Amino acid sequence: MYYVAEVINDECSKYNCKQCTLFCPEPNTLMYNDEEHHAYVIQERCKGCALCVYVCTNLLKRNAIHMIMPEVHAEK
Amino acid sequence: MSYKIYKINEELKDFMPKEIIDLEEKATWGNPKRGVMDLPYTKELIEEHSLCAGCPESMALRYIIASLPNPEDTIIVNSTGCTSLVFPHIALHTVHSLFGNQNAVASGIKRVLEWRFPDKVKDVVVLAGDGATVDIGLDCTLQSFFRQEKITTICFDNEVYANTGGQESGLTVKGHVFKMAPKGKQWDKVPMWQLAIDSGCHYVARLTVSSPKRVEQVIKKAIYVAREVGPTYVHLYTPCILEIGLNSDDGLDEMRARDKERFAFFEYMTPQAEEVINRIKEEGLL
Repeated sequence: MYYVAEVINDECSKYNCKQCTLFCPEPNTLMYNDEEHHAYVIQERCKGCALCVYVCTNLLKRNAIHMIMPEVHAEK
Repeated sequence: MSYKIYKINEELKDFMPKEIIDLEEKATWGNPKRGVMDLPYTKELIEEHSLCAGCPESMALRYIIASLPNPEDTIIVNSTGCTSLVFPHIALHTVHSLFGNQNAVASGIKRVLEWRFPDKVKDVVVLAGDGATVDIGLDCTLQSFFRQEKITTICFDNEVYANTGGQESGLTVKGHVFKMAPKGKQWDKVPMWQLAIDSGCHYVARLTVSSPKRVEQVIKKAIYVAREVGPTYVHLYTPCILEIGLNSDDGLDEMRARDKERFAFFEYMTPQAEEVINRIKEEGLL
């Protein structure tokens, strides 16, 4: 497995920008939950490019996404 | 084609993959006001594909497919290149042409559709790389402009033949060195947007894909003008991060840098095109 993006919900919900969802190169991977006001990552689709981290941290200085090593459970 | 082809038989619904069910329930069909701001919420008409992680071309494809005003009646013609890895994963009619023939194939499709469906609006959009548009297919591309074919041509310019190992193309910048061009290119980059203007295109734009909303506006203008007036051309900078030695999260930074120099936003339109654009703005479609 490789690193994938994860949204820090409490940080993300302070803003209403959705920029990461637009700049992600993968379709239907970074989506937005309007009820809870934060973006979320469908990790099975994430290729780990970290472009969303660049947008959120370097460009917008919001630090609401980080890369993590996901827990993978082998199918029995 | 009608988006009703994605209507799933209720009895079979339990067996269908979630992605297909989403195409029926969450995709934006039949709405000319669809655009990039739908991306965070709706099912995209493009599925998981095999382009590299962080590829700017992949971003461009998301914005273009999300901006098509009439996706259910749009036929996409593509050619050999990285983009051809994506088209099997798009829920629209796509035609893969021989390398360089894309504008000739699109011309034929457009003419037949006008004859077969005279009462329906059918958009034909060509999506091809710089090799197909400017090197191998320059003849077919320019001839379609000369003939005033009502098609939209979109060129993904990554300034190199990326998926064959890095040979220089007509759109490579003078002096650039690639793996298969070790001496560096000796001639200037072909100003394709200028050739398109001189060859009779009614709407021409040159930009990077660093601004999703701007890409949406340009694509919509190009398609509406092509529908009514004549050929349109959009030149998009989508750098190949692997061939120019960047990390997967550097693509956007590279495009923002080029926004200020050789890919500064440029737009040209003829008076007829301007008339169409002003009208669709008044109708709230832009």
